[in-house]
Amino acid sequence: MIEIEKKNGEFIRRFHPLRIIEHQANAITFIVLVVTGISQKFHNSSWAEWIIMNLGGIDNARVIHRTTGLIFTVLTLQHILTGSYGVILKKWMPSMVINLKDFTDAIDNLKYYFGITDRPARCDRYDYKQKFEYWGVVIGGILMIFTGLTLWFPTKVFHLIPFLPGQIIPAAKAAHTNEAMLALLVIVIWHIYNSVFSPDVFPLDTAIFTGKISKERMIHEHPLEYERLTGEKLDDAHGEEGKEEHGPEEISSAP
Amino acid sequence: MLNRIVLHITLILSFFFVAQSISIASYPPGEEGALCLGCHGNKEMSLTFKNGEKLSLFVDDRSLMTSAHKNVSCSGCHKGFSLGDHSKRQFKNRRSLTVWASDACRQCHTFKKGIHLRMLGALREVVCVDCHGSHAIQPVKESGDACFGCHKYGLSIPFKDGSRHSLEIDEDALKDSVHNKLRCADCHFGFSSKEHPERDFKDKRNFTIITSETCRRCHFDKYTKTLESMHFNVLLKGNLKAPVCVDCHGAHGIKTGRTEKIESARRCKSCHEDIYQTYAMSVHGKSLISMHNQDVPVCSDCHRAHDISDPRMADFRNNIPQMCSNCHANEELMKKYGLSTAVLQSYLEDFHGVTVSYYKKQKNAIRHIAVCTDCHGIHDITRTKGPDASIVKANLVRRCRKCHPGASDNFPDTWISHYEPNFKRAPLVYTINLIYSIFIPFMIVGLVLQIILHIWRYAVNR
Repeated sequence: MIEIEKKNGEFIRRFHPLRIIEHQANAITFIVLVVTGISQKFHNSSWAEWIIMNLGGIDNARVIHRTTGLIFTVLTLQHILTGSYGVILKKWMPSMVINLKDFTDAIDNLKYYFGITDRPARCDRYDYKQKFEYWGVVIGGILMIFTGLTLWFPTKVFHLIPFLPGQIIPAAKAAHTNEAMLALLVIVIWHIYNSVFSPDVFPLDTAIFTGKISKERMIHEHPLEYERLTGEKLDDAHGEEGKEEHGPEEISSAP
Repeated sequence: MLNRIVLHITLILSFFFVAQSISIASYPPGEEGALCLGCHGNKEMSLTFKNGEKLSLFVDDRSLMTSAHKNVSCSGCHKGFSLGDHSKRQFKNRRSLTVWASDACRQCHTFKKGIHLRMLGALREVVCVDCHGSHAIQPVKESGDACFGCHKYGLSIPFKDGSRHSLEIDEDALKDSVHNKLRCADCHFGFSSKEHPERDFKDKRNFTIITSETCRRCHFDKYTKTLESMHFNVLLKGNLKAPVCVDCHGAHGIKTGRTEKIESARRCKSCHEDIYQTYAMSVHGKSLISMHNQDVPVCSDCHRAHDISDPRMADFRNNIPQMCSNCHANEELMKKYGLSTAVLQSYLEDFHGVTVSYYKKQKNAIRHIAVCTDCHGIHDITRTKGPDASIVKANLVRRCRKCHPGASDNFPDTWISHYEPNFKRAPLVYTINLIYSIFIPFMIVGLVLQIILHIWRYAVNR
């Protein structure tokens, strides 16, 4: 994950192919879960009915939702295991761990947005926005897995934990459906903006497809990581600002 | 002897007197008739029977003129009576005279087949004139009166199995029925005094079922509905006990269906006794029976009247929530009893409700999903508050286990009733919903603001 290679001087490898496959698998399961789940949530509306009937009825929709949920569970488990294995045994850098700097970065960036300071926060491999999304997916995913399994096997829950009150089932439903709504909105608004519509990456952040990122974007978005990898000291903020103005155009025209 | 001479003189005198009037009116009964009417045209004339009964011997000439027998002379029927021979007979009473006089008809009307022949053998009490009249004899039309001529007596029809069924009709019941404007032949198609086909039925039930077919000639809409009904299906399969129209509605004494609700339930009771008893103990039944409450449902409100479908079929099951909500989602009606109308919506929003709603649309579902009756009872619907509440809950866990084997005793608690989750009833659900209802807008507004700021900063920098 952290092995980064230079290529043609212009691009830097950012993601291992396995991480690319992982993202694509997650994206597909997420879409399937959303389609089959949200049509169950809004079961009365005509579009939901259209989806469910075309999936072959409510039972089929549920089978698809649960099977995809299982795939999502496996993906989440393997991610946690792979991450733990890598960080603990292979001495990968725990670059996803949230630290104090992320909070100061967020405040710095807000200051920059409001024009109080004239340069954005200098971030490492993952900036605070990406960490927020990542942990949102991991924690939200675990919550979805547990509430989902509760709804799938409502009687088993009481065998596992006999003292649970009956309302744990409707509570699981409330959490599952609300968390799903939250996840969907964050993905649709935040993730799609940052990886598609943001002026920094428009029309598409190709890093997760090609696994590579341009040197310009690397210097602009992850200066600390760039410095650590290359050993070279980047110029002060003013020099970068000048570069930044041309950055996005170069990327958009890059193959 | 003197008596007879006086009679003769009177007859001859009257002959002359009457002869004058015939020349004007051209009397149909001919000369002989004119002669007879000389005396029998007198309204005072009467005969006294042994039992003191009196019979007027007056014959109305006008009725004779319109009679079917206007060309038959008096002695044609009254054999043995003539001017010269006017034998005196003694009768016990008026009826015995009528019966005796009717014998005359058979001199001409010899029946070799048909209903008359059968009646001649079967009937002692009914004679020709009962139906056809005497002097004013008319070709009998298909009027009710003509049928009553025979059918008010103890007629009966023999069946092949040896049993008999009375054909006696209660005229009063007929007059009180909704069909009192109809003529007999309207229902008994093909029957009249002339056409009275003989039919052979295996037994009484066969007779009833086949006769019931006549209803569809007017009530075709109801008839087509019954074709889809459970009862008709059972009948088709050979169970002749299945009810046909007249079993519920009655035959001659048929009443309007819009009577008191209890009447309708009692009709079903005649076959479904045990279910009626269960119903009578239910919250609806008690209210109907003890308070004559017309708001509560009776059998036909849920099962329908004519197109009664098999309640074991998925279609019926899946429609139960809508069925109950006919009343239980009716604001006006439920206000009277202080009941919530949110019961339907809260059910439909729940897992089971969603499933049932889709099963209705899919038409291929075979699983039995819990509907209203599974928790509240079918015919033994009880109150959910008060002393019955614990019974409801005890039944509930048994029902849960049918689909959720191994459900623990507190499993019914997973259904947090038909009320919106609130802090008192379901604090966990309420809190989760509350947190998300704050957190989701907070998060989204925050993210959208960040996006706007980002774009704004980018635009300013350019």
